[in-house]
Amino acid sequence: MNASGTGGPSELTPRLSMRGIVKRFPGTLANDHAELTVLPGETHCLLGENGAGKSTLMKILAGSVQPDEGEIRLDGEPVRLTSPQAGMAAGISVIYQELDLVPDLTVAQNLLLGRAPARGPVIRRGRRAELAREAIDRVGGDFPVNAVVRELPIAAQQLTAIARALTTQARVIVMDEPSATLGENDLRKVFDVIRSLTAEGRSVIYISHRMDEVMEIGDRATVMRDGRSVSVHDLARATPDELVAAMIGESRELVRPTDRPRPEGPALLEIRRVHRPGLIDVRDIEVRPGEVAGLAGLGGAGRTTLLSALFGDTGASVSVRLDGAEPRLSSPAAAVRAGFALVPENRKEQGLMPGLSVARNAAVTALGRPPWLAPHTAGRRRATPALSGLGVKYSSPDQPVGKLSGGNQQKVVLAKWIAKGGLRVLLLDEPTRGLDVGAKADLYRQVRHLADQGVAVLLASSELNELTANADRVWVLHEGRNVACYDPRTTDEATIAHTVITGETPATKAAS
Amino acid sequence: MTTSSAVAEPKAAATGTRRPRPRGAELIVKFNLVLVFLALCVAASLLTPDFLTTRNLSNLLQQSALTGIVAIGMTLVILTAGIDLSVGSVAAFGGMTVALLIGDDVNVVLAIVASVAAGALFGTVMGGLSAYLSLPAFMTTLAGLTAIRGLTYLLTDGEPTSAGLPHSFQLLGGGFIGYIPIVGLIFVAVTIAAGLVLRGTTFGEYIYAVGSNKEAARLSGLPVRGVITAVFAISGALSALAGVLLTSRLTIGQPTAFNGLELDAIAAVVLGGTHLFGGRGGVMGTFVAVLLLSVLRNLCNLMGLGSFFQMVVTGLILIVALILNMLMEKRGVRA
Repeated sequence: MNASGTGGPSELTPRLSMRGIVKRFPGTLANDHAELTVLPGETHCLLGENGAGKSTLMKILAGSVQPDEGEIRLDGEPVRLTSPQAGMAAGISVIYQELDLVPDLTVAQNLLLGRAPARGPVIRRGRRAELAREAIDRVGGDFPVNAVVRELPIAAQQLTAIARALTTQARVIVMDEPSATLGENDLRKVFDVIRSLTAEGRSVIYISHRMDEVMEIGDRATVMRDGRSVSVHDLARATPDELVAAMIGESRELVRPTDRPRPEGPALLEIRRVHRPGLIDVRDIEVRPGEVAGLAGLGGAGRTTLLSALFGDTGASVSVRLDGAEPRLSSPAAAVRAGFALVPENRKEQGLMPGLSVARNAAVTALGRPPWLAPHTAGRRRATPALSGLGVKYSSPDQPVGKLSGGNQQKVVLAKWIAKGGLRVLLLDEPTRGLDVGAKADLYRQVRHLADQGVAVLLASSELNELTANADRVWVLHEGRNVACYDPRTTDEATIAHTVITGETPATKAAS
Repeated sequence: MTTSSAVAEPKAAATGTRRPRPRGAELIVKFNLVLVFLALCVAASLLTPDFLTTRNLSNLLQQSALTGIVAIGMTLVILTAGIDLSVGSVAAFGGMTVALLIGDDVNVVLAIVASVAAGALFGTVMGGLSAYLSLPAFMTTLAGLTAIRGLTYLLTDGEPTSAGLPHSFQLLGGGFIGYIPIVGLIFVAVTIAAGLVLRGTTFGEYIYAVGSNKEAARLSGLPVRGVITAVFAISGALSALAGVLLTSRLTIGQPTAFNGLELDAIAAVVLGGTHLFGGRGGVMGTFVAVLLLSVLRNLCNLMGLGSFFQMVVTGLILIVALILNMLMEKRGVRA
């Protein structure tokens, strides 16, 4: 329980040293003597499952949360970060996952918000555009600075946020899961920016769930668990397994899905063509009952568009056969009647009704049948078995769903479709986004279980290792087309990754 | 050891109080309004001996009933995160048409049904425009407010109707059963019916779901547009009903009636604890809030305070209620 104290003197003064940080929230101890040491010019990864205390520690660093105990030193000097303004003044810049840009202003306006170059009260627009251009060029952005942020792709928004962080003279830059919203190509740009930042001697704290990124970009990593810093790794020598083991602790073992035989027999879902000019043109994808079909692709390759088209939610022309018949998929309501279910990309905005209780969220799909009375009783009767079957952890069915953890929230979205009954095709769009390792494995186990009951599953994910571990086949989408289909049992991940990025298939194509 | 026990203790205390607290806060929010209402009644009966007379109380119920009926419809609309600014104009239109139709010797029941149906139709159009074309309800119903008021004036060129109305029809808005005004009973019945719809039917549950997150409701396959259109239709119908009842009480159709009704109705809904952004609240809060506001008005009248003073007090009470709700909610979120 002793704080590790002063430790051995290192020859290099750390850029940032956080020692013995304790933060209590009602009912939880978010940080329990957490430690973090970041060297100048270092990319330091912060790892840990959801709830391990990473974000609290970063909020303390940003100055938006005050620690109960502990000491923060910047370049050897003790600092007190009593507000976000104090954090910024001390040279700490945080790029949050939910970008804090003003969506209706232009890139240039956002970059220099509150600091626009001006002559008296008149803003010097030309000068502002120049400054903004410089900042955007520096992070490798090629979009115009007079573009309105709302209309930019998410990757460009992310680059804008990074560029803004750099316009202040930041010594420590925190990036909170930038890859959660970025495709492979855009992530390259962000990595280039990180490399140039560290080359200038600035320090970057990189938070991510993806081991491959961490191994690639990081110099060292601190692993947090239950509010404590459990280990520090030199990433040149560490293995991903080692890091994952440190993250989940000894008590639990890493669950790997069983490698079961691929389902055979006639297809349940035949996608003949999904077409929308300029956006998507997907042909001939078949999913058998009990099969989990993976959809791989870069951001913007059409995975989400394909799933929403199947769910009746785009203007795309859809030609689909379900069990030999042609279902009507003109709207989400029609798709639901046909037995389709969607777990959307963004569970807070598209999946859940945050103010309503767990039971009401899970029951809302199950009410659309006569006699249309007593929704609470009828809904709970159908929702409770679905919730407990998925192992959702909640204190009471009346608990607001917004207070559950991410993994449990996602399971409530899934429970909603199980409670409805008659599920035939399950469409999963990035179902594990923001979930920790344990919750991911759990969710995939439940999806497998559903598939075993004869449901056809289409699983879109930007995490290729999740697809190869959980899908029976992986379809690769590239620029709106399905360019290849691989069996992950016989094709290695590198081959699939190559197709995902380039759209090219090797000569030995393992399509079925 | 000392540190670990120091940590454990607040933890246990916090988890111990954690569960009942949000529910307690909710109860207090609901209860609070009733408490304030009762306190106001006690204060009123102490301040003026005229307050606690059957005559005054039945007058009070009669006066608040019309606004109350409209506010119940408004509650449903606001629960879906919508707003209906057209209620005053629709009510005036309903009141005029029923007077004109009866004046033209149309059967009384038929005239009432036709007027209420016209209100429902207006609501359907405005709500439908908002739901199917994604226009903001604020704008479609603001357009409705102007257009329908204009239409109401056009019916008689702005003049009140003068045709005589049958006695049976006048009973509806002006009659009493014992000391209880019939409009008051209608208000209570509408409130109970709306409460039953909200709690006891799938449609009611869909109203909450749509209000809490429209996008999630849509992607759950709920008929979101239908639900939104329906609540506006209900609001329109109830507004027209209020108009019919007023005509019955005044015995003439008055095209200038119900100016600014939308603000009274929205004020009652918000004071009743319904969230302006949808998904939370109910009709019982609205019911109490309507009574509370009219007791307040009644008290001012009895004490000889002018209507200007009443307006100021009403506004201040609204602000205080909003601040209280916000504080309660914050505490609830933190727990």
